[in-house]
Amino acid sequence: MTETIQQTDRPVDQPVEVSVSDLTVVYRTDLGELPAVSRASIDLVPGQITGLVGESGSGKSTLALAMLNAVPSPGRISSGSITVTGLGDVTKLAGRKLRHARGGTLGYVFQASQNSLNPLKTIGKQLLDLGRAHDVRDLRALVRRAAQLISEVGLDPDRVLDSYQHELSGGMRQRIGIVLALVLNARVLILDEPTTALDVLSQAAVLDIVRRVHRDSGLTTLIVTHDLGVVSEIADRLVVMYGGPNPEEGPATAVLHEPSHPYTRALIGAMARIVGDISAARVLPGRPPDLTTVPRQGCVFRDRCPLAMPVCAEEEPELVQWTPGRRRACHVEPTGVLS
Amino acid sequence: MKGFLRRLLMKLIAGLVMVWVVATFTFVLVHSLPGNPGDIEYDRLIMQGTPPEIAQAKAAVVAGFTSHEPLLQQYFGYLGQLLHGNLGVSISYSGVPVADVIASAAPWTVLPVLSGLVVSFIIGVAGGVIAAVKRSTRWGGLLTLSGSLMAGIPSFVLALLLAFLFHTLWQILPYGDTSDVTLTPGFNGPYIGSVITHAVLPVSTYALLTYGGWLLTMKSSVVSVLGDDFILAAELRGISPVTRMRYIARNAILPLFTVLAISVGYMFGGSVLIEDIFDYPGLGNLLLHSIGRRDYPLMGGAFLLITVAIILANILAELLYSVIDPRVRRA
Repeated sequence: MTETIQQTDRPVDQPVEVSVSDLTVVYRTDLGELPAVSRASIDLVPGQITGLVGESGSGKSTLALAMLNAVPSPGRISSGSITVTGLGDVTKLAGRKLRHARGGTLGYVFQASQNSLNPLKTIGKQLLDLGRAHDVRDLRALVRRAAQLISEVGLDPDRVLDSYQHELSGGMRQRIGIVLALVLNARVLILDEPTTALDVLSQAAVLDIVRRVHRDSGLTTLIVTHDLGVVSEIADRLVVMYGGPNPEEGPATAVLHEPSHPYTRALIGAMARIVGDISAARVLPGRPPDLTTVPRQGCVFRDRCPLAMPVCAEEEPELVQWTPGRRRACHVEPTGVLS
Repeated sequence: MKGFLRRLLMKLIAGLVMVWVVATFTFVLVHSLPGNPGDIEYDRLIMQGTPPEIAQAKAAVVAGFTSHEPLLQQYFGYLGQLLHGNLGVSISYSGVPVADVIASAAPWTVLPVLSGLVVSFIIGVAGGVIAAVKRSTRWGGLLTLSGSLMAGIPSFVLALLLAFLFHTLWQILPYGDTSDVTLTPGFNGPYIGSVITHAVLPVSTYALLTYGGWLLTMKSSVVSVLGDDFILAAELRGISPVTRMRYIARNAILPLFTVLAISVGYMFGGSVLIEDIFDYPGLGNLLLHSIGRRDYPLMGGAFLLITVAIILANILAELLYSVIDPRVRRA
């Protein structure tokens, strides 16, 4: 039953490459199983860059990992599905099939601050490991493809393939991360905070590369970030995440210019701007619910919401379409938030 | 390669300087021990009931080995002999060159120590990996506990316990000496079998003593590598489990090589106590006897050998480290 409701809620005019529907991820703790992601639904449209934003602790990274069915223990996907074109439901995959889906169809790029490369092996050797793990027959062709990608991201292939991780800068490592995610011709690119911990120039360069490879390879891209600046620069669509079901989603420019949910408005209001008074940025009071404090009933944002009404404590708002291409989950009328 | 050779040379020079420092230190230490070989020999003969005149004559022969020259002159003489590879002549083994005495005892320390080390390294490292991977289960906890327990037991307690259990109580393993004295040494079955059974107790002691250290170090190393981002990254790229295990193992085992070098030294030092308890005629035992009899040249030789072994092990470990860890390699 719920399946059909979800189906009709979707913007039906677009094909979908990845469809996350009603996904709940729980972590096993001493207090029982607590949800990190609760009934999240996201559709990734081919050829589009979708931005997934939210505060730290809103479950963005957990959701990104869930897309590869790689929620780290003690977490697990407790309900919902993630359907990828050509793969079926990723949450049902296991063993060899799952392994080949990772890297093969779904490319994952780590936070820039994290070292995603084995420090004891050259990039070239790790590339070969990757090829062998995916039963690539023609390893020479793989190296040629990698060399081509490496030049596309603006690096020297000969030098990079012979380098160890510690011989590369943060920005260079991040570009290698993108190359390794795409070298097996993945169709879906998932980037988790790809620019965090990079300096401004490297950030701009990495975003530029993401935009270019996305366009050139015709990818479906998800970019997870807490940085609205990144999203406004690169994303076509924007999905806002907060504890429970996403508060809001829609075209990036529309959502950023006309936030229809109090949470989105607060996030945008909390941004420090380059131009103007720094004190114009307003701190979003309180903090996101953690696994233990997330309310079981009603809207999860109500405790921090300036527009909260009595109904918010009792009933959880449904994610519904309110204008073409935009969905929101809030009891307050859109006009009430926009004004 | 040129850089490698230069570094090797630097290390060897540093090692030589260290050997010189230790040789000097040993010389000073040995000569500041109370009592000299002549007096010790005289006392021993008197206690055996030898008439004083004969005892004095005999002790004079012993004293003849030790020089009456000024200490500084003796020191330079000692260094000069050392440069020629001459360790001097043993006093307690009446005139046999120290090098020969040491050479005959050395295999009985080197072999048990190294085999004990290899056995404990293999078991400890394997146990550490299991303890790390299964750390939230009961078996993992038990493994870790066993490591902590073994690491905490003093060597002599363990040696005595093993000797008591396997020799005295159950009488399944021989004790003392390197083989059955009735057998002819050589390449024959009974002799080799006897050597092996005689070595079981000391080797197991060495192995059990260091097992805990390996297990605990490897466990914490594996746990930290498991938490490293590149392991998750490899998983998310679909790298096969076998390759991931290789990534983990190679990264986790790195810090253990440093410990390996240090423990070679510890084992040689520890052999003094253990060989004494098992009455096993290796270097440790030799050193103990030479101290008891104020056999200066033998003492110096034994100290020097242990020092050189430790220094060499350290140089080897450092070179090995630079081969296996590209981050330490310098162009």
